[in-house]
Amino acid sequence: MKLAVGWFSLALAIFVTLVIQEFIPPLRSLHGARVFLVPMLFCYGALAMPFWAMLLMAIYAGLLTDLAHLNVVNGHVEIALGWSIVLFVFFGLFAHGLQPAFIRGRWWVHVLLAAVCTCVFLALQFVMICFRRQGVFFNETVAWRILAPGFIAAILAPLVHLTVVKAAPYVHGPMRLRPFRRIRQ
Amino acid sequence: MSRLNVILVIAVIIGAVIISSFGATTMQRLQAGFLSVISPFLKTGSAVQRQIGAMGQGLKTLDQLERENEQLKVENKELRTSNQIFRDLEAENSKLRSALEYRKRSIFKLLPARVISRDASAWWSTVRINRGFEDGVEPDQPVLTDVGLVGKTTTVAKNESIVLLISDESCKVASKVEGSNERGILSGRRVGEGEMPSEMQLNFLSKKANLQPGQKVFTEGVTKGTSTGVFPSGIFLGTVKSFQARPLDGQAIVEAAVDLSTVEDVFVVVGAK
Repeated sequence: MKLAVGWFSLALAIFVTLVIQEFIPPLRSLHGARVFLVPMLFCYGALAMPFWAMLLMAIYAGLLTDLAHLNVVNGHVEIALGWSIVLFVFFGLFAHGLQPAFIRGRWWVHVLLAAVCTCVFLALQFVMICFRRQGVFFNETVAWRILAPGFIAAILAPLVHLTVVKAAPYVHGPMRLRPFRRIRQ
Repeated sequence: MSRLNVILVIAVIIGAVIISSFGATTMQRLQAGFLSVISPFLKTGSAVQRQIGAMGQGLKTLDQLERENEQLKVENKELRTSNQIFRDLEAENSKLRSALEYRKRSIFKLLPARVISRDASAWWSTVRINRGFEDGVEPDQPVLTDVGLVGKTTTVAKNESIVLLISDESCKVASKVEGSNERGILSGRRVGEGEMPSEMQLNFLSKKANLQPGQKVFTEGVTKGTSTGVFPSGIFLGTVKSFQARPLDGQAIVEAAVDLSTVEDVFVVVGAK
């Protein structure tokens, strides 16, 4: 029960985040960087949930992200649907390796993971677009647009943990979502 | 990792690869479905954002009025607030009248639309508008304002469409320069190039073009066999900011006519009158 509540809450949070992100303008002072929080939310799920639930979340988050950002020009898709699923699966595998540390109470693992995964996601997205267009290039703006969302995700990551910690006592059922179990002890 | 987990991971990756092999049309259809799902949320969000924006604007002008009040010491606070409300209404009225006039005198059949959200991605320049195939919108239709070209539709959902802005690197427009025989391809600049995001590049001009700042750039309206291209001829794109001769061709930097970062009310060209 608790795992189901956790999974669906996270799924809802990812959906709501995708919608809210549409209304957050580019941050001009950060070279037009955008707020991108889906990898951060996914990483929390990956650290907290069992393996199979993480995989389901990777499919859900990846598909939604791709659908939100799909760019079709003259009948050509720049980044195909499904690539985010693969990427989220890899993030999830990495997160699962760090899960023991997270369960032991090292909440900052999520902060680091959120920053790294957000930056890697944007960097790979950029590289794929470059290959589709005129070859890879790099400048200060590109660096800002990759690193700043990672930094923002890292700043907001503890809020997610705090929300889960505060919400946990109100959710009844067997303790299957690991951080919840830790909080009860 | 257990054997079952390895099998699950492989299955998910194979599934993702299968999805990625779908054709562009299928992907667009899936995206249209997704847009239809999030459309009510985007429309609500857009309405809330507008209200907040209007409130912020009102407060800003209220500050100005307060400064005037300090100087003049004549009107009372209540009267100034009422005046402000009328002024806002007048500005909005004037804006709408201008848009309506443009719609009347245009040779195109125009469908008014409103920008409801902007792409949250760091690499693409797109907006979503509140018109879809139920309103007669189709993919690859030009989107413009009374000032100039905004972009073209790509994915069209039931009541919503995605518009690729002309400031995006992948949006290419055949263009001509006023007062010259120069023709080229206008597109957005690469990320981080240029001082302003509204700057575009006009490539494949002749090396001897020697364009001057301020010259206007319009759509060329290329025809492919019996069918015309996406953009009709003569739509204003922007003004030349600078020109440089390169080894093989000339390149002009063009300032977009429309402020694409704030554009709200647009028209979709759904056909000729």
